[in-house]
Amino acid sequence: MSVESAVRDSALSERSVSFTKEQIAAYAQASGDINPIHLDDEFARSVGLPGVIAHGMLQMGLVGVVAAEAAGGPDKLTRLYCRFAGMVVPGDTVTFTAEPAGPGKLHLRAVNQKGEAVLTKSSADFKS
Amino acid sequence: MSASGEPRNGAGGVAGRTYPPVNFLVEADRAAEFARSIGADPAAGVPPTFAAVYSLGVTAPQLFGDDEAAVDFARLLHAEQEFTWARHPEPGETVTSQARVASDVSRRGMRFLSFETDTKDEAGEPLCRSRALFVIRP
Repeated sequence: MSVESAVRDSALSERSVSFTKEQIAAYAQASGDINPIHLDDEFARSVGLPGVIAHGMLQMGLVGVVAAEAAGGPDKLTRLYCRFAGMVVPGDTVTFTAEPAGPGKLHLRAVNQKGEAVLTKSSADFKS
Repeated sequence: MSASGEPRNGAGGVAGRTYPPVNFLVEADRAAEFARSIGADPAAGVPPTFAAVYSLGVTAPQLFGDDEAAVDFARLLHAEQEFTWARHPEPGETVTSQARVASDVSRRGMRFLSFETDTKDEAGEPLCRSRALFVIRP
């Protein structure tokens, strides 16, 4: 998995992730969610998908890591909310960002290489 | 409810149904593997979103395997997910998760099912609440 970290002015924390089939399969194995839409291109196409797609919960895991960084550590996270807006397929690059949204609150974004939102209205709470 | 088990417009479906509690041992190796799969530092402890395993992961199969709930897995979208934590589990802890269908409504053929899971620690103290919104397409 290719993960680059960069911190910009508006963001407290940011990571870009380039998705691969191997990474999606690793998350399937690690999470126990082995729905074939994440593992088998032919099966995914048979149910109307372009091919295997990444788990929404993988997106949530990745944005959760960014939120934890912005919060000052994973133990500080008290809430994480994601709305899954867009599909992610192997070859996509998604940039996950946490921005301050008031005391103990973060606004979270995930945008792909085409500028499309993968997550919307997503947020986290943390304790200081 | 129709014979197929799907709720009619606005009807309750399996709203209010509660499933039996499930115990889960938070193993260090499993949590570390999960951490690596999301680019988290395994040394930083159990990642918060390991709740995808100890909370939603152990209870969602109860819903999907419930014939009366008649959730068509092939048409299911996980639309929203929220986790709220009192604290995060430590490796070696056994946690207990119990789920219920908070709401189950159909609008214009789309079925919206809100699935909540409460996870407690061995002392019975609340640890995590999960709220998943599943949308089942026609």
